[in-house]
Amino acid sequence: MSDLLNAHLTSPFVAQFIGELLPALETPSRSPQRSSPVPSVSVLHSLGSLLCAPNRSPPSSPLRSLGSMSSWRTLLLRVGDKCPEYGGAVDHKEHIETCYGVLWREFEHSKDEISECAEQLPHKIPFYGVLVGLINLEDEDFGKNIVDDLHCKLQEALSSENCDKIRILLRFLTVLMCSKVILPSSVIEVFETLLSSAATIIDEDAGNPSWQPCADFYITCILSCLPWGGTELIEQVPDEFDRVIVGIQSYLSIRKHSQDTSFIVFEADEDKSAKEKDFVEDLWDHIQILSTNGWKVDSVPRPHLSFEEQLVSGKSYNLSPISCPKQSASSSRSTISRERENYEAKLKYPQRLCRLHIFPSNKIEKMQPIDRFIVEEYLLDVLLFFNGCRKECASYMASLPVPFRYEYLMAETIFSQIMFLPQPPFKPIYYALVIIDLCKALPGAFPAVVAGAVRSLFNRIGDLDMECRTRLILWFSHHLSNFQYFWPWEEWAHVKDLPRWAPQRVFVQEVLEREVRLSYWDKIKQSIENAPELEELLPPKSVSNFRYNSEEDHGYTLSKEFREMVRGRKTAREITSWVEETIIQIHSSKFAIEVVIQTLLDIGSKSFTHLITVLERYGQVIAKLCTDQNMQVLLIDEVSSYWKNNTQMTAIAIDRMMGYRIISNLAIVSWVFSLSNIEQFHVSDRPWEILRNAINKTYNRIADLRKEIQTLKKSVLLAEDVAVKALKEFEAAETRLEVVDGQPVQAEKPGRLKRLKGYAEKAKDDEIAVREALEAKDALLARALEENKSLFVSLYKSFANVLTERLPPVSADGAFPKLRDEEDIDSMAIDLEEPSTMEMDHDNGRKDDRNSEKVTHRYSIKEQDQWCLCTLGYVKAFSRQYATEIWPHLETLEAVFGRDIHPLFRKAVFAGLCRSTTEM
Amino acid sequence: QDLAKLSAYRDRRFPGNQEEYERALQTSTTVYVGNMSFYTTEEQMYELFSRAGEIKKIIMGLDKNSKTPCGFCFVLYYSREDTEDAVKYISGTMLDDRPIRVDFDWGFEEGRQWGRGRSGGQVRDEYRTDYDQRRGGYGKLVQRELESQRELVDYGAGALSAFQPPMPYGRHGGDYGHGGSHRHGRDYRKRNREDEHSASEMSRRTSGYESRRSSDHDSRPEKNPRFRESGDSDDEDDDDQKRRR
Repeated sequence: MSDLLNAHLTSPFVAQFIGELLPALETPSRSPQRSSPVPSVSVLHSLGSLLCAPNRSPPSSPLRSLGSMSSWRTLLLRVGDKCPEYGGAVDHKEHIETCYGVLWREFEHSKDEISECAEQLPHKIPFYGVLVGLINLEDEDFGKNIVDDLHCKLQEALSSENCDKIRILLRFLTVLMCSKVILPSSVIEVFETLLSSAATIIDEDAGNPSWQPCADFYITCILSCLPWGGTELIEQVPDEFDRVIVGIQSYLSIRKHSQDTSFIVFEADEDKSAKEKDFVEDLWDHIQILSTNGWKVDSVPRPHLSFEEQLVSGKSYNLSPISCPKQSASSSRSTISRERENYEAKLKYPQRLCRLHIFPSNKIEKMQPIDRFIVEEYLLDVLLFFNGCRKECASYMASLPVPFRYEYLMAETIFSQIMFLPQPPFKPIYYALVIIDLCKALPGAFPAVVAGAVRSLFNRIGDLDMECRTRLILWFSHHLSNFQYFWPWEEWAHVKDLPRWAPQRVFVQEVLEREVRLSYWDKIKQSIENAPELEELLPPKSVSNFRYNSEEDHGYTLSKEFREMVRGRKTAREITSWVEETIIQIHSSKFAIEVVIQTLLDIGSKSFTHLITVLERYGQVIAKLCTDQNMQVLLIDEVSSYWKNNTQMTAIAIDRMMGYRIISNLAIVSWVFSLSNIEQFHVSDRPWEILRNAINKTYNRIADLRKEIQTLKKSVLLAEDVAVKALKEFEAAETRLEVVDGQPVQAEKPGRLKRLKGYAEKAKDDEIAVREALEAKDALLARALEENKSLFVSLYKSFANVLTERLPPVSADGAFPKLRDEEDIDSMAIDLEEPSTMEMDHDNGRKDDRNSEKVTHRYSIKEQDQWCLCTLGYVKAFSRQYATEIWPHLETLEAVFGRDIHPLFRKAVFAGLCRSTTEM
Repeated sequence: QDLAKLSAYRDRRFPGNQEEYERALQTSTTVYVGNMSFYTTEEQMYELFSRAGEIKKIIMGLDKNSKTPCGFCFVLYYSREDTEDAVKYISGTMLDDRPIRVDFDWGFEEGRQWGRGRSGGQVRDEYRTDYDQRRGGYGKLVQRELESQRELVDYGAGALSAFQPPMPYGRHGGDYGHGGSHRHGRDYRKRNREDEHSASEMSRRTSGYESRRSSDHDSRPEKNPRFRESGDSDDEDDDDQKRRR
């Protein structure tokens, strides 16, 4: 039976397996989580099931049932990989010959598959290029079809501003030129089109410099192609190539240095970024070095060289001209609207990578800068296209076709994605999974590298962006939960002696908190056995803090009575009136909140589900009691007091209450900025987690509404269409006459007419219903946006208040006060230079090097300054994360800030919103 | 679409054909989580699964008799995207030192929270022969050993005894406000079945099965409730075979 079902499940898949290889790359994104397009991964799924099918279903593995009919597809997918399909051969020439050997018989069918493989396995593009070149020798139409197809796709990608696709198709284009399928002049032509479009964009008069991110992207694309075809271009079309290079050079001299402090992971680097080269300038440098080195790159396979004699006789084609979309010209509007446009351009054409220099330069693998760039591209592409295919992702990450090691670079690249600002391409938990899988795939090498990265980040934690700190805490606790919570905590035992607000200490404390949430208190206590000093940093053992435990407690009897009523399943209404009569009228509303919340939370304290049950049944009792914001703040206070030993339950309870609209997001903001919480800002994540949840929930509501409205809009169009058609059909039938006995009478039977009329009416009704639904959603969205606006106004007001009170004053000469100890930053630098002997190895026993003692853990920031740094860091982080929602309200907010806003606060807001700080 | 991605399970209780089943899986915002420790709490689930997105509900799989967790769970999300991410990124990772399995689920319905094994828990624990401390020792042969540090959450006793864990019955979509009727109390099984009769065809079919089942579920060998394509970490396929012999 099970085999039968098995076959049923797998066989259609096998049949379709290549047929549906690749739908388009783009998927619309919903949440801010997805700033980059999420590709559909069907190639990889095909590949995935090829690779791991044996584990999945032993009796009828797709691989075994593939037979010779499909094996060319397997070979195509696996070309260039070290794998059993190629008998473990490593010689690329052999691979291509074997693959070509089966492919040429099938070439009529293989055009789409080759292109699609190239688009989703971009690190293997050179192999696919040669295969196309070889088939082109057999059938000239084949090459032509590929080239025309490429043209269509490239034009489509440019018009739809699909960055990943543009980048990859341009590489494929370059490689096809190497395989003599495309004329070099066509490649030059494409480059020149991009170049001239870039030059226009940054031209004040003709273009719109706000769109420089797009122009930069085009230039990056051209430069990125050169490692794949620079040699060929300079050989075959030297003059034209020179022209392109000169063009790029002049572009670089005109463009503005891009210095986004918003997306910088280490805050101390903020000042450096103005002086350092930005991504485009950096890549340009690498390419120049490359050209002086004769375009030799280790990381790019050049299989076409082995087939040059054959390929040279192939027919090369022209690529029809392409055009870049015109970015709307700036119509000299206000600074704000220009900056906003620039911000949108940055989101649309994001810089793909913000390098994170975690390891000291003596540790990271030696390689040419351009090789570093290429390996990063490979890794990012694998992460992009193999999202969701665990085994393949790890195995491709670990075995890139390059002749050098790159574990450190790989770790830096993955961490740079976890920390990517404003949002990583995928949820951070994806990268956690990749790291787990790589640790398993490379047990001898990768765990030690990851540990090294953690140590290095830990050493600089005080310097790390607040958002990145949170991501690091979440990642690290999750990572450890997958490896039995093993970590050499004794290395960090010293943080116990640091002040409560020291970032390293807070980091350890928050990691432990998250570990306890993922596991349980005793287990985590055990895991820090080797550093018992750290027990002090463990969260309290989570027990609820019920107020009425003995009869002496004021409220004990009332609470007991209340509990009995709940047990007796009294309705919310009955309880509400009981509360009114027995508590409010005799005592006070405040006391009523105390009794009601304490008792209900205690009844629902057993689990998340118990809590929800209580809130669903008696939420109304609470809501009736807490109608205004002040009462709601008291309510949150009570929740926080009941769960004072359990941050997670506090956060969950508040979150759910907001979900049931028992408390408003404004009440939460107001509570978070109450004195007892403000005092926690720099020593705990607790208030921030609650604030993050509230803003996030508000945002999710808006995002969901927008999505629903999108869908409804489509339904309206559809319904309109149906209604019009139904009406037409009815009218046509009604007017159809025939002559009977010399009299015109209706030709249609009355029954049919009636039916058609019914359809038409029904369709009209449906249309109206959908329209009404849309209007209702539109109204909800308008309300949600209004709520969102007041949320941010209140948030910034609160931030402004607390910061103005605590920030050190601006000195008489106008210089900003320094919160960070400059010396401290220097000592960080020393830490980095430290030859990393503290590396540990999970397998070969631990090299317990006490060298870490030598690294001075000087920490000298005063409490008040640390509080300011931390709070400013959150101002920046919140502004950055919700920038798209904040921008529309900027004018209102400017008014909130007023004239005498503290420059450091202003700087943090501006940095978060990516506004230029020059006019400050 | 790619079936391999959806679910290796085929729930035999699903009241529709294969096509409907696949459709349900493709649009569902519910995941089924398996191979859990009995000691894993909802809060642990919440911490881990909220990293894939905002969670709407968690429904612990409970032992029919003891009303304590028996190693599986449903997690309901608000958005499909988050649901997919949970399957992609959490399946196969560790929770309480066990590799948990996360699959798309066709949607929670009342009754599905109970273990389908004869003695109340999951079927796989009936026939298990290995020792698994975190799933109650040797199947049901040996009395469950409570770990000194942790206790099983008892969903059937205490101040909430009047409450059964709430079932998100008939609540769909991203509603934030109040709504949904919830069945509480000791007689809720019966009442729910009545509900099912008046509900869609889908539930009507279930209810037929339900009533047959509940009348004699103790005397009749339980069918293997879940189909599993591969036997990588679990033992249900073996169970099936054993029973057929």
